[in-house]
Amino acid sequence: MQCRAALTRIDALRTRELAPIEQTAVEQHLKTCRSCNESTDDVDSLAHAVKAIAAVPARSCCDDVKRACVDSYDRVGDLWVAFSKDGIRMVAAADSIDDLRAPYAKRYGRELAPAPIPEALRRQILAATTGEGVDAPRVDLEPTNDLEHDVLQTLARIPRGQVRTYAWVARQVGRPRAVRAVGNIIARNVVPYLVPCHRVVPSSGGVGNYIFGSEKKRDILEREGVPVDELEALAREHVRYIGSRTTHVFCFPTCHGARRIQEKNKVPFRDADEAMESGYRPCRSCQPVVAA
Amino acid sequence: MKNSWTGGETPTQTVDDGGGSLAVAVHRCDPGAFERLIQRFERPLFAYADGILQNAFDAQEVVQDALMRAHKALTRQYDEARCAALALRPWLFRTVRNLALNKLRSKRSSLEQPLEAFDDGRLGPFVHLEGSELERKEEIELLKRAMSLLPVDARELIVLRFMEEMPYAEIAKTVGASEAALRGKVFRSLKLLRDALEQKGVAYAM
Repeated sequence: MQCRAALTRIDALRTRELAPIEQTAVEQHLKTCRSCNESTDDVDSLAHAVKAIAAVPARSCCDDVKRACVDSYDRVGDLWVAFSKDGIRMVAAADSIDDLRAPYAKRYGRELAPAPIPEALRRQILAATTGEGVDAPRVDLEPTNDLEHDVLQTLARIPRGQVRTYAWVARQVGRPRAVRAVGNIIARNVVPYLVPCHRVVPSSGGVGNYIFGSEKKRDILEREGVPVDELEALAREHVRYIGSRTTHVFCFPTCHGARRIQEKNKVPFRDADEAMESGYRPCRSCQPVVAA
Repeated sequence: MKNSWTGGETPTQTVDDGGGSLAVAVHRCDPGAFERLIQRFERPLFAYADGILQNAFDAQEVVQDALMRAHKALTRQYDEARCAALALRPWLFRTVRNLALNKLRSKRSSLEQPLEAFDDGRLGPFVHLEGSELERKEEIELLKRAMSLLPVDARELIVLRFMEEMPYAEIAKTVGASEAALRGKVFRSLKLLRDALEQKGVAYAM
């Protein structure tokens, strides 16, 4: 082996990173060549000295990076609430926060660390769970696709004290035949109460299913002022819409317009076509038929 | 889909102590996993970035950016199998390297004049001392100056090899060169460093 080849291998020899055959060759060479042997010491001492001058950061960026990459959670009432600096990201009932970690990682790709929730967010949760309603919920959802985004936006527009049907939401987002898909998205709502998924009920009547159980759904709707019993009575008669004899407008039964109609002027309809054929037009507020 | 980071080549030695499992933990968002990653890698990554950039402020920025990108990639872009197969250390160093070199390039092309890091005069004349009499601090100062005289590629290799003590296999992944070529480059870098020191009158054989 020549000096040149040996010299470039001295350093790798130091850490035993050479192939066995090379190692023997270099070791052989070092035994016979004095100057190369001296270079070994040079490499050693330089390597050792250089280690001491590694630059050290003046300040760890750990906290900054963590703030950007880790979200927080806190307990509000009997709910777990996960939030980022931009808003609430998950509301769930579970025995332990650990049950939330996997779904949270799947959706947001972040860890959860305990931290006190900002007072404004806490108030929103409390207002939403007691049925007071929240006008502009501060949520930070990162919808996974356009349909989910549209559905959540549509849900947020259903006023407190009113309900719509799954089919209506599907029509609103321009996917009238995708009722089932829309229903699944609503069922997977990560911020129940805040984005009012409880204000969507089946067209066939009843309050339908809910992430916290049907009883809770009925309870929160009643707190928000929805006449659930009346609705169920109407559903038994297959009445979906209520028209007004005076204005010839028809609405969802819970629309604020429909609730102002006097009893004697109320006209029940089973579907929108029936109403339109009778010369009624859909309400502009609750939009039982999507405006073209 | 062959990816040089996650397969295709067999690791020559198992040097990365649990990098893959840490990557998986970050991918699963285990509590504290990402903090462990930061604590383990922040200092070496900073030393590397500073070695390339010679500027603590920029180095800090680059490291922070790299860590955020790493988090995003591990949690959102890579699936679990890919995280498990990932050679975490060279991957992180490579990220820092790319960002640091980008920064260096953008700085050069900007109007900003590079500071003459060497002859700013503040540190006084160079003292010619015998190796044995060198005060520790002065020795370090001198080495730092000598380092700042080296070209970027020599500096980065010295950092990787002698400060971070990376095996050649990992350096090869980090800078994208063959191990054989790197052996030669590392030796030449070391020689450059010694020449720079000798130029200042210090024979570095103690």
